[in-house]
Amino acid sequence: MIEIRFHGRGGQGAVTAVKILASAIHLEGKFTQAIPMYGTERRGAPVVAFCRIDDKRIRERDLVHEPDIVVVLDPLLNRSVDVTEGLKAGGLVIVNYPGNIKDTGLAGNFKVAAVDATKIALDVIGRPITNTAILGAFAKVTGLVKLESLAEAVNGELPSRIIASNVETMKRAYEATTAPANASGFRKTDVVKRASTQPLISYSRVVSDWRISHPVIDKNACVGCKRCWVYCPETAISLVDGKAEINYDYCKGCGICNEECLVGAIKMEREEV
Amino acid sequence: MKSEVMVGNKAVAYAVKLARANLIAAYPITPQTTIVEYLSEFVASGELPAEFVTVEGEITAQLVCLSGSIAGARAFTATSGEGLLYMSHALHHTARYWAPVVMAVANRSVRTMQPDHTDLLAQRETGWIQLYCENNQEVLDTGIMAYKIAEDDRVRLPVAFALDGYVLSFTAEPVSIPEQEKVDGFLKPFKSKYPVLPETWDAELEEYKKHWQQGKGINEPFTPFAGDENFSHLTMVSWGKGHDLQWRWRAHQEAMMRAKKVIKEVDEEYGRLFGRSYGGLLEEYRCEDAEAVIVVMGTLASTSRVAVDNLRKQGKRVGLVKLKSYRPFPSEEMQDIAKRVKAIGVIDRNISLGEGGIVYGSIRSALYDQVEKPKVLGYYAGLAGREVRVRDIENATEKTLKAIGSGVMDSTATWIGG
Repeated sequence: MIEIRFHGRGGQGAVTAVKILASAIHLEGKFTQAIPMYGTERRGAPVVAFCRIDDKRIRERDLVHEPDIVVVLDPLLNRSVDVTEGLKAGGLVIVNYPGNIKDTGLAGNFKVAAVDATKIALDVIGRPITNTAILGAFAKVTGLVKLESLAEAVNGELPSRIIASNVETMKRAYEATTAPANASGFRKTDVVKRASTQPLISYSRVVSDWRISHPVIDKNACVGCKRCWVYCPETAISLVDGKAEINYDYCKGCGICNEECLVGAIKMEREEV
Repeated sequence: MKSEVMVGNKAVAYAVKLARANLIAAYPITPQTTIVEYLSEFVASGELPAEFVTVEGEITAQLVCLSGSIAGARAFTATSGEGLLYMSHALHHTARYWAPVVMAVANRSVRTMQPDHTDLLAQRETGWIQLYCENNQEVLDTGIMAYKIAEDDRVRLPVAFALDGYVLSFTAEPVSIPEQEKVDGFLKPFKSKYPVLPETWDAELEEYKKHWQQGKGINEPFTPFAGDENFSHLTMVSWGKGHDLQWRWRAHQEAMMRAKKVIKEVDEEYGRLFGRSYGGLLEEYRCEDAEAVIVVMGTLASTSRVAVDNLRKQGKRVGLVKLKSYRPFPSEEMQDIAKRVKAIGVIDRNISLGEGGIVYGSIRSALYDQVEKPKVLGYYAGLAGREVRVRDIENATEKTLKAIGSGVMDSTATWIGG
C-alpha cells in the first residue's frame, strides 16, 4: 500500500486533488481511498488530505501518519508546518516551489521534486489554484498514475468550464517537472509553528505568511468609498486620510479587495519567495 | 457493473435513487448535508422522479416523510447529530404509524462535528431499526436493503442506516453501482397496504363505530382489517380517539423481533443477486477457532479487520464480530458466539453516561442466562471523532485475549486514546 499526504492552504484545492488522484488511480484498476481532513478551515489556512493506493480494497480508516509521499501545494507552507513529519526514510516530497530545488527549505533522508505550480496555474487558469498542476508533477515523478487518467478523472470533479484549462495546467506541470533530487545535503528551514497557522478566527492573528500575492493600493486612484474595507474578511483594511490602507500583518492575500474595487485602485503583486 | 470513486454521502444518494424513493425531505446539517445535495441534483436533472420537499427543520422533515409514507410514498430523509436529536419525537410517531420510512444518519457526535454513535444510539427506543455500515459499498447496499426490510409485511417499521460522519461521509473510495433493472427486480414498487386517503376515511370511521358498538373499549386492539391482527392498523381516526395504549407497544415489539429474520433473509437475497452480503444482523470475521473476539460497529470494523489479521499473523487466535444491526439486537447470535469463545471485548464508539458503553451493556445483558459465560471486557474508542488507529484495536484485542483465565472479572471499561 502506498500512502500519500497532501499539504496545502484552504482554497488551493488539496481536497479536490486527492479526489481526482483517487479517481484516476481507480480508472487504472486499483483500489484507492481519498480522505479530506475537514475542520473549521478557511481560505489560506493550512489543510491536509490523504490518499491511499493498493491492489485490494483498503480497510484502514485512520489517517496517514507515515506517508511514502508528501505533496505540498504551497511554497511557503513548510515555514510554519512540518510537512515531512513521519515521512518514510527514502520517501519523496513533491513541492510547489519556484526557485532552485536546493532552496526549498526541505532537507533530510528523502528526495525532493519541485515545480512552480503557482506560476503555471496563474498563466493557464488565471488563479493560484495549484492542485491540478501539482498532480501533473505527481504523475511525472512517481509514475503511479498516467496523465491521461488524471485528465479523465478531472471530468467528474471540476465544473465543465474549467476542465480544459486544468488539463492544460497538468500537462505543463508534467513537462516542467524534473527528476527528484536527494535532499540529504540541503539546507532545512526552521519550522516556526505560529498561532496564525491554526484555523481559528482571524481577528488579531498574524496571517502574513499565508499570502502568495499581496494587494497594493494606488492612493491616487482610491476614492475612499470603503468598499474594500467592507469586504475584507480579515479586517486588515482601514481608512487613513480618506484613503484605504492595508495592515499587511493581517492580510492573507485573498484578493477580494482587488475584485471588489470599482475604480481599479488595488493591484495584486506576487509575493517574493 | 459500473464502479466509481465516491464519498459515503454520494453512495447514500445512489442507494436512494436506485431504490426509486419518490419523496425526499431533509434539513441541512454537517456531515449529512451533501446527501440531500446529491439527491436534489438527481431530482433537478430528472434522473430521480421524486417530490423534493424543502423544510424548515428536522421535525418537519420527518413528519413530511411520515405522512407521505402512510399515503403511499417511498420516503427518505437524512440527518446527523443534533439534527437527529431535534427530530427525535417525530421518530416515535413514524414507528407507531408503521410507516416504512428510510433515513440515513451520518453519525455526528452531539459534542463536536466529528463522529461517534451516541446520536443514533440515543434513539434506540424510538422503534426504528438501526443498521451500521463500515465502508461506502456497504452504505450503498444497505440503503437499498433498508427499503426491502422496512416494507416487508412482517415488519413495516422505519429503518435508519448509519455511516460514520467524515470517516465515510467525506472519504472517497471505489463503489460498485448495481444496475437499475437488477435493483428493480429486488425491490418492488412500494404500495402502502392501507393508505390513509380521504376516500377511505369514512369507511374506517364506520369500522371504528362498530368497534364500540361491539362493546369493545379503548384497551382492546382496533383492527379494522380482518386477517391482519399483527398490525393494529393505525390511522388518524383511531389515533384521534386516544387509541394508543399498551397493546400497541406489544405489537411493535413483536414486529421488531420478527425483523431479525427479515433482515437475514433480505441480506441473503441481496447476496445472491448482487454478490455482496453482510452477515444479516452481524458478521463474524476470522472467528472460527478464535479464543477472543472483539465486537464493534461502523467503521471501527474496517480498522479492526486489519488489527485481527495482524494478530493472527502472530499466531493469536482472535476474531472480529461486526455488529450490523443494533435494533433489533442479535441476542441469539451473540449467545451462540459466547458459547465458542473465552473472552469478548466490546469497543463502544458511544457512551450512556452514568452506566457505560451501550453495546457493552446490551451484550452482557444478552449473555446473562448463559451458564458458562465468557469474560466480557469494555472499551471506549473514537468518541467525538477521536482517531482510532490499528494499534489501538490491537491493544484492546490483546488485552481481551490476556483476560482469559485471569480470575475475577472487572467490569470497568478502558478508555482507548485517553
